[in-house]
Amino acid sequence: MNGWLGRLFHKRRTEKRLDAELRFHLEQKVRDYLAAGFSSEEARRRANLAFGGLEQVKQDCRDARVENHVQDFLRDLQYAFRGLAKDRRFALVAIFALALGIGATTVMFSVLYAVVVDPFPYRDFQHSVVLEMWDLTGPREAEARFHYTIPEFVAIRDQNHVFEDIVGDYQSDVLYRDGKGTRRFLGCYTTPNDFGSGVPPLLGRSFGPDDGKPGTPFVFMMNYKLWQTEFGGDPAVLGRTFFLNGKPRTLIGIMPQRFNGCGSSLWLPTDLSPGADGTVFPVKDPDVIWACARLKKGVSLETAAADVDGILHRMAQANPGELYPQHFKIVLRTLLDFVVGDFSKTLYALLAAVTMLLLIACGNVANLLLARATVREREIAVRASLGASRGRLIRQLLVEGLLLAGGACCAGCLLAYFGVKGLVAIIPRGPNADLFHGRIPEEAVISLKPGVLLFAVAIAGLTTLICGLAPALHAVRGNLELRMFGSGKGAGGGFRHGKLRSGLVIAEVALSIVLLTGSGLMVRSFFALTHVELDFNPAHMLYAWVSTTEHGPYETAVKKKLFYEQVLQRVKALPGVINATTSLSMPPLGGNGSEITVLGKPSSQHWSSGIDLCGKAYFQVLGLRLVRGRLLSETDIDSARQVAVVNEAFVRAYFGSANPLGQKIKFNDFDQLPETPHDAYFEIIGVIADFKNQGLLEPPRPEAFLPHSITGFGGRNILAATAVDAKSVLAAVQREIWTVDSTAAVTQSGSMEDFLAEFAYTKPQFGLITTSVFAGIGLALVLVGIFSVMAYTVALQAHELGIRLALGAQRRDVLAMVLSHGLRLISAGILIGVLASLGLTRFLASQLQGVSATDPLTFCGVALVFLAVGLAACFLPARRASQCDPLVALHYE
Amino acid sequence: MEQGKAEVLKGTLDMLILKVVALGPIHGYAISQRIQQISKDLFQVPEGSLYPALHRLEDRGWLQAKWEETETGRDAKFYSLTRAGKKRLSAELVNWERLSEAMALILSAAE
Repeated sequence: MNGWLGRLFHKRRTEKRLDAELRFHLEQKVRDYLAAGFSSEEARRRANLAFGGLEQVKQDCRDARVENHVQDFLRDLQYAFRGLAKDRRFALVAIFALALGIGATTVMFSVLYAVVVDPFPYRDFQHSVVLEMWDLTGPREAEARFHYTIPEFVAIRDQNHVFEDIVGDYQSDVLYRDGKGTRRFLGCYTTPNDFGSGVPPLLGRSFGPDDGKPGTPFVFMMNYKLWQTEFGGDPAVLGRTFFLNGKPRTLIGIMPQRFNGCGSSLWLPTDLSPGADGTVFPVKDPDVIWACARLKKGVSLETAAADVDGILHRMAQANPGELYPQHFKIVLRTLLDFVVGDFSKTLYALLAAVTMLLLIACGNVANLLLARATVREREIAVRASLGASRGRLIRQLLVEGLLLAGGACCAGCLLAYFGVKGLVAIIPRGPNADLFHGRIPEEAVISLKPGVLLFAVAIAGLTTLICGLAPALHAVRGNLELRMFGSGKGAGGGFRHGKLRSGLVIAEVALSIVLLTGSGLMVRSFFALTHVELDFNPAHMLYAWVSTTEHGPYETAVKKKLFYEQVLQRVKALPGVINATTSLSMPPLGGNGSEITVLGKPSSQHWSSGIDLCGKAYFQVLGLRLVRGRLLSETDIDSARQVAVVNEAFVRAYFGSANPLGQKIKFNDFDQLPETPHDAYFEIIGVIADFKNQGLLEPPRPEAFLPHSITGFGGRNILAATAVDAKSVLAAVQREIWTVDSTAAVTQSGSMEDFLAEFAYTKPQFGLITTSVFAGIGLALVLVGIFSVMAYTVALQAHELGIRLALGAQRRDVLAMVLSHGLRLISAGILIGVLASLGLTRFLASQLQGVSATDPLTFCGVALVFLAVGLAACFLPARRASQCDPLVALHYE
Repeated sequence: MEQGKAEVLKGTLDMLILKVVALGPIHGYAISQRIQQISKDLFQVPEGSLYPALHRLEDRGWLQAKWEETETGRDAKFYSLTRAGKKRLSAELVNWERLSEAMALILSAAE
């Protein structure tokens, strides 16, 4: 290598040596001829003849050497650079178009890289699985259970043959008294084995095998965020003792920023033996344990599932009960699949979208290069006749493409840098908890990593080939020398010889139509979703979940009722609050439910109903409409009467057209709960209109509304209707609660509208924003594409148009001629695009709500938008054509 | 081309050059002479192919070149084989043997 580099920099010496070598040969040859008896003149002539063109031999020798190719390449680069600098507008448009394509692709690739390749910091996360129990009895398929009881978990842990390790944990509020009041953090009790899955603690130590066993000191660990926000990142908190849930615990370690196991702020070790960790469950063995296991090497998901399935079926036989559906099976999913779920479909759809965008950009640039190459036909012909080989010419045109792609790659990476920042702000992410699945893992870090940048460079290289090669081959086709004699401007060549160009425009329009249709459907779907009739009014509503220490002073129904009555009284008295009530659920999501029995109406089927525990103002706060009977009265609540208001869905499901008023229902689950009426029948006193109570998309389910005073079980949600911005009274509500009892904590609070936005709208909004941006870019690129091609065609046709005008054609005719040419291209593109969209949008169907994947309105709208945009892009060049001066046009020749 | 003389078989020029150079350092003109001699004037190596081939072989690292004086006292470029060139030559020879064996088989079978 030393050799060719040396030769590259000592070009003159190399040339001299080549010359000397060949000259030596020639002279030897002459000498031989002289020796053979020829005259010196004849000897020289024969030698030269045998050599056949010294220059050609020299050139062939040069071509045989690497450094000369490098040199040619540098020269081509220089030439291309000069050419582009001369035609700056063309270069900028091309680079901008490509940069948009490369940037968008790089952004999407960053996301996929973060989600698929590097989503979790855990060791071997590909082998981490979660266990789901699918109910096969119910009419709706796959109603899954994700949580297990302690005995179930212990059985799986001890009896399985397929897991290397299995971690069980359950989330629990951790109430923390800091002197001023009580605050609540999301805590997670976890078995101490393999805590962190290979992520070492940032400070202190991780849990050891003995932590959490009865009789060992109480310890806990903290996440990075809480450490920063609450303790200012002070390392001195390590080793301090905190009062958590009323018990002293020592902080032994802080986990790094990129670790968010269970989405919790605090982790507490437990060996799951009763009382070991200081928590007692209100019911015996609730199914609260979330199990995450790591598969042994070489064990498939199916094998492992079958193993666990056997264990749980044996348990179901030994303890028949409500815990187990009649028919069920265990399904294992990888942690990644569980967390990301359906959202990966969105991501792949978006990747397809950016690929289309990149293709559009490539089409655009190819078209621009093609146009340039055609204008330069004569130049190319001259170079060919001067001895440039076809390969040389193609390479030269490719170098031009490479230069553009290089520029676009830099600009694209810059765009991607900002794009990634913007995207990170809107992408729905959540902790690895079941409420949040279908999002990207919270621990996935989306950024421009080296791998991603390498990808961008590869994309740029690919685009060079795509955009550069076709025009290059196109430019050097046919007999190059012949073209010298034709008009270099290719008189009239525009319309007739532009098949490739027209094809590219049509393809661009078609691709862009697909993009725009997809995004149009997303817009319609999002509109439908945000306009779902909730049948209650979420505006100006505040919610605040209250948690009281489970075994504190409110264990009886009476005490609990008194506490909440006091809190409600104070909240209602706050300025800006109109009315307030308790509830057991978040109204649009619903909450707990129970199996029910209707008195005198035995049923073999499982009848169930949602339950809400209401204060006096429940119906007013939510704005619910009474259909028949009456609402819960003050006396009903004060004296905890066993009465119920039900919704229309309840009546439809269990009474049909019969009169439900006066019927009596029993909530079977109440029999398991402490401080709750056992074996009690509630009389139905009223029916209210349905409202959304199991998410925005599902139809309302049967629900019963009971006086909150009947039970001492469970935490409560406080709902308040406000006259002002709900968030402005949050702090005051918190204060009032602490005034009543400083050990009570507000766990989650905010305005109902924010809650809806977070839970229901984030994901569709992400799809909406990204596809709209991509479709917008696509549309802009197509606009530029059509414009440049039409402008170029008109320029090529100046000669023909000039003659037409000189022969008396009307300007109107010329305008119509150019426009109709453009229109033909655009309509062909629209037709193909619409047909392609009809085939492709069904892949979007799973992400669309309230609108069909072949929504005619969207399709028509998109086609019209394109027609308008396309005509606008044609109009300027067409007008220029019609206004050209025939004399000037003819002068070009 | 004169009657009765053939151009070197396609694809064998590299092998011939390597073989000739393997005998000892030699300059371009002598290579063409030597090939012609050994083949009893059957093969002619046109200069237009010889020099590009020499430069290509040098570029690949199979030949190395040195400027030295000839017996007549003139400076000429002498080529010699590198270690990689020796390897290359033996590989080409093995290849050629297999090829000619196969050719012989086919031709004798066709008789």
